[in-house]
Amino acid sequence: MSRLFKGRPVLSGTGRGEALVSHGGFNTYATFFTSIHVPMDKAICADSGNVDLYCKDLAGKIICLPKTTGSTSGGAVWQRLVKMGNAPKAMLFSQHIDSLVAGGLLVADIWADHRIITVDQLGDAFLESVRDGDVIEIVEDGTVKIGV
Amino acid sequence: MAGFDHLQIQLTQEEKDILNGSQGEMLQKVMKTVVLYGEALEAERLVDITGKGHFVITHAIPGISPSMEMLENLTREGLKTCHPFTLDPAAPLDYDNWFLTPKQIASLDEMYLTQERYDEKMMQLGFLNMDACTCTPYLPEVGNIPERGDILAWSESACAIFGNSVLGARTNRNGAIMDLLCNIVGKVPLSGFLTDQGRQATWLMEIKTDTLPLPQMLGAAIGKRVLADVPYIVGLDRFLGPGMNSATRDYLHEMGAACASAGAVALYHVENITPEAMDHGKDLLVSDFSSHTIFEQELTALKASYPVLWKDKKATPEKCFLGCPHLSVEQMDWWAKQLTGQVKVNTTICAAPDVLNHYKEMEKGYQKLLQAGVKFSAACPMQLFDNDLAKDDAIITNSNKLRTYTTARFFSDEEIVKILLTGTMEGENNE
Repeated sequence: MSRLFKGRPVLSGTGRGEALVSHGGFNTYATFFTSIHVPMDKAICADSGNVDLYCKDLAGKIICLPKTTGSTSGGAVWQRLVKMGNAPKAMLFSQHIDSLVAGGLLVADIWADHRIITVDQLGDAFLESVRDGDVIEIVEDGTVKIGV
Repeated sequence: MAGFDHLQIQLTQEEKDILNGSQGEMLQKVMKTVVLYGEALEAERLVDITGKGHFVITHAIPGISPSMEMLENLTREGLKTCHPFTLDPAAPLDYDNWFLTPKQIASLDEMYLTQERYDEKMMQLGFLNMDACTCTPYLPEVGNIPERGDILAWSESACAIFGNSVLGARTNRNGAIMDLLCNIVGKVPLSGFLTDQGRQATWLMEIKTDTLPLPQMLGAAIGKRVLADVPYIVGLDRFLGPGMNSATRDYLHEMGAACASAGAVALYHVENITPEAMDHGKDLLVSDFSSHTIFEQELTALKASYPVLWKDKKATPEKCFLGCPHLSVEQMDWWAKQLTGQVKVNTTICAAPDVLNHYKEMEKGYQKLLQAGVKFSAACPMQLFDNDLAKDDAIITNSNKLRTYTTARFFSDEEIVKILLTGTMEGENNE
């Protein structure tokens, strides 16, 4: 049975994919530190401080997280990832989107012409409910269905 | 303003005109990015930037900085920032100071092939001067010191947190590229740390250690605990005294850098020390604040929890990088006093070009460090790890930020002094 959550579409779109969940803060720069430099079709999480995602491939996945942390260099990472073709498909935030990732995702959307669907304010219950490998469907209005 | 009628953010007529292309397509695109940024942050409106910029985008490497194509597009239209800006530290291309192998040098040469052209673009966009590359632009020798209340669009997590907390300026943690775009339109969304409400503290953090905690560990513990919230820190004035002086400034810039990289902290208040805490005290706390007390045990346990990421976990240290963030003159002088003999580990101290020039003029400490075998650089050690350049090197550092992003091992200043003078890790946890 699918579970429904409603958030705010920051970069709206429809999409379907597999979830990967970070329960703690997602350090963008530490996560993609290696995958932005060496062209590859994977985006292996290099952040040893992220117990949920360390060493997992984030390319094409739907990342579920509270918010992002870490260096402001992380802002430029998104534009690079979409150009290399190994960006996540979507970013789903339980909390309000933070300035660092909001700026980075917008720059990728407007200046690299590639949308990473982004929904925020999905609530703590969303992050408690979703599991790695869940199939997720995202609707234009910010509705997120888990387990479709 | 077709396509933007649904926006909640309130725009002035001038902003709407730019969004409609009245000043060209490129400025229209920049304005669109900044306006949608404001919309994402649920800002009521845009406000004017009132001080110089500081950006993280120093390196000509896509993924860390704007692409050359983007810079070409911006400069072709003659766009530049509303005020001059400083940049983060330069790339480590001063090879003599970094003890590099020929293979590492060749890789760096290749990575930074377009750096010269990139620097030209930065100058065209409003870069203050080629020496204005540091993560401590607020030191007097560099001089990018915003006034209290200045509205900024800074990036570099260590600078944003210092500007907000110690100087009382107002900036959000803007990401690379968005920092530049906001400063080109000269406006930034009124949200978060630009507002009185956003600057209220949501955590009361009591420091109950017996001695002054290591700033890099205290910052990491606070950042890990509060993530992106604002802590009101009590108990540091027992050790640092009230108000600001150069020692307190240096302590806070170390603490803040660790705080920002362990979490996403952009602002802290320290009772009886930082400007807003001096004026408002505990009135800065929201009514339903959370509390936490830090004792020595928490900091010791956190430090012990850091994994050793060296390829050979029992290796003898090969290199030591000091100065992430860049050191002040006073901090370099501390190292000059401590390093009483020849260092037995290849050591590089990093500081701003203007700070290094000033320190050289002071001669005594600078000469002593040179004689001890220490090298100086104005660059950033973190970039040596790009492309896994230094992943096999056994590197030690006193920077928790550098540890967070690389395979370098973290030690306190005192521990590093001992390691540098003996060349061994004897007595240190080497598991």
